[in-house]
Amino acid sequence: MLHLKRVAQNNLARAARRSASRGLATAAEPYDVVVVGGGPGGYVAAIKAAQLGLRTACIEKRGALGGTCLNVGCIPSKAMLNNSHLYHQAQHDFARRGIDATVSLNLPKMLEAKTNAVTGLTKGIEILFKQNKVDYIKGSASFVSSTRLAISPISEAPEGAPTEVEAKNIIIATGSEVSPFPGGAITIDEKQIVSSTGALELQQVPKKMVVIGGGIIGLEMGSVWSRLGAEVTVVEFLGAIGGAGIDEEVAKTFQRILGKQGLKFKLNTKVLSAEQKDGKVYLEAEPAKGGKSETLEADVVLVAVGRRPYTEGLNIEAAGVEKDNRGRIVIDDQFTTSQKHIKCIGDVTFGPMLAHKAEEEGIAAAEFIKSGHGHVNYAAIPSVVYTHPEVAWVGKTEQELKAEGVKYKIGKFSFAANSRAKTNLDTEGFVKIIVEAETDRILGAHIIGPNAGEMISEAVLALEYGASSEDVARTCHAHPTLSEAFKEAAMAASGKPIHM
Amino acid sequence: MHPSLRRCSARVHAPLIKFLGKRTYPTTPEARHPHPAAPAEFKERFSQFLAKMNSSGSESSSQKASDSGAAVFSNFWEAPPRFWKPRVRELEDAEMDAVMSGGASSY
Repeated sequence: MLHLKRVAQNNLARAARRSASRGLATAAEPYDVVVVGGGPGGYVAAIKAAQLGLRTACIEKRGALGGTCLNVGCIPSKAMLNNSHLYHQAQHDFARRGIDATVSLNLPKMLEAKTNAVTGLTKGIEILFKQNKVDYIKGSASFVSSTRLAISPISEAPEGAPTEVEAKNIIIATGSEVSPFPGGAITIDEKQIVSSTGALELQQVPKKMVVIGGGIIGLEMGSVWSRLGAEVTVVEFLGAIGGAGIDEEVAKTFQRILGKQGLKFKLNTKVLSAEQKDGKVYLEAEPAKGGKSETLEADVVLVAVGRRPYTEGLNIEAAGVEKDNRGRIVIDDQFTTSQKHIKCIGDVTFGPMLAHKAEEEGIAAAEFIKSGHGHVNYAAIPSVVYTHPEVAWVGKTEQELKAEGVKYKIGKFSFAANSRAKTNLDTEGFVKIIVEAETDRILGAHIIGPNAGEMISEAVLALEYGASSEDVARTCHAHPTLSEAFKEAAMAASGKPIHM
Repeated sequence: MHPSLRRCSARVHAPLIKFLGKRTYPTTPEARHPHPAAPAEFKERFSQFLAKMNSSGSESSSQKASDSGAAVFSNFWEAPPRFWKPRVRELEDAEMDAVMSGGASSY
């Protein structure tokens, strides 16, 4: 009986082994594509390459896929923006809608909801990798030569990763990191002086918060903590908020609306230094053009002065890849570096540091490797600030067109005249469409208002296809929707709007 | 006589959007240009960058001719697969174990 059992076990073990097979002792075939970095650019490039039939691996050293965007950027900040908005609405907006409710903040639970959203999405990418047969290598990659990468183990996956991989093509997608404060006068400790990463992890609502930098990240995180009860002051070196590319008229309206929500602004102001004393941070600031300095007191300071390309540990010198004086990897319009078989996409190279721009480049880079052709239209990449109201834009601003000497017309429509915005009691903002005077072709669209981030896709599509404002104006939009404001703005540009 | 609606309208709108049909890749590779978002100084020295790229090492197209006219490859995988991936049947683990154990593992 015992003997029979042993024979059965041996047979089972043999059957299990039978499925495995070994090749002859030849050199291992290299990957067609190895992507370094599993952020929005890298993981999309890896999946696309695999879908195109290329044997693909993606190396990521964070221990989780999704990069900055998914782990400590766009995604967790949107979770906090959404939930803090609901809390703020419940506190300040429900009563006028006929809802009487008393709410209180459970910050640990709100942070947990954010973490759950992040974890779910990162695991989702791992499943996508399995479905598309992308080899996911957890480790830190470093160039040994232009075709070989050494992989060091990371704490999240100490064993099991190969020590070296060879690739016919390599895509560098290592992203960016938080820029330190210029001149090193302020050191980020991620407790009291935080970057966007630390600002997503504060364990209590600060009484006073100073945000250095009035760009997208500063305004979004400032909004979150303002809604949760902090007294927020945004200090910006330039004369307007919103960052690069925002329309001046939109920026002014944006500042006015955020001001009504309680955010304070100090524009044209330069932060000089920070001192931590008695549990507080004291910032020294002066007018950008020079003048009398002042001291700003804060419980928490958010440094949001931008991001810089990240290539630490990559040893790109060994690959012979060229960088510029700002640390960006130099590429041509096919994402090829100074080494023909190494491409580079996303934040670590030229162009705006946006996740969706990196995704487009990831797809195009994979297509260039496969077929020699790809497509990214840099004139049609939208920008969105996910505050409330949202701000979104694509294409040219009035200021840019004036500088270029292009004759243009403007069509504008206010959400105050939009039926859906009225029913939602959410009427602040407008849609502004800029068209070429001679041809009526849409050159830019700028939206501040509810759902602007979704609505901007219509403008991106119009730009991508080279549509005129009349094309959009003659396209039926469902009623009652916020997107009717976009149609009406197009009508205003090509003729006259109906509802204003 | 009832003129059509089209004739009645003040003018017929001709959309700027044109249907292009299903996309196909051109047969010739695209020419390389500076990246649209590259700084001006890089665009000015793009020909230098291109020269450096073209002289860079391996890619599947890095095949060169030797003095004797035979093809020379920088990487083994650029050579035809018959040289580095011979078409022989792969041995299964069980078969290898049988060989290694003198047949004992089969019983």
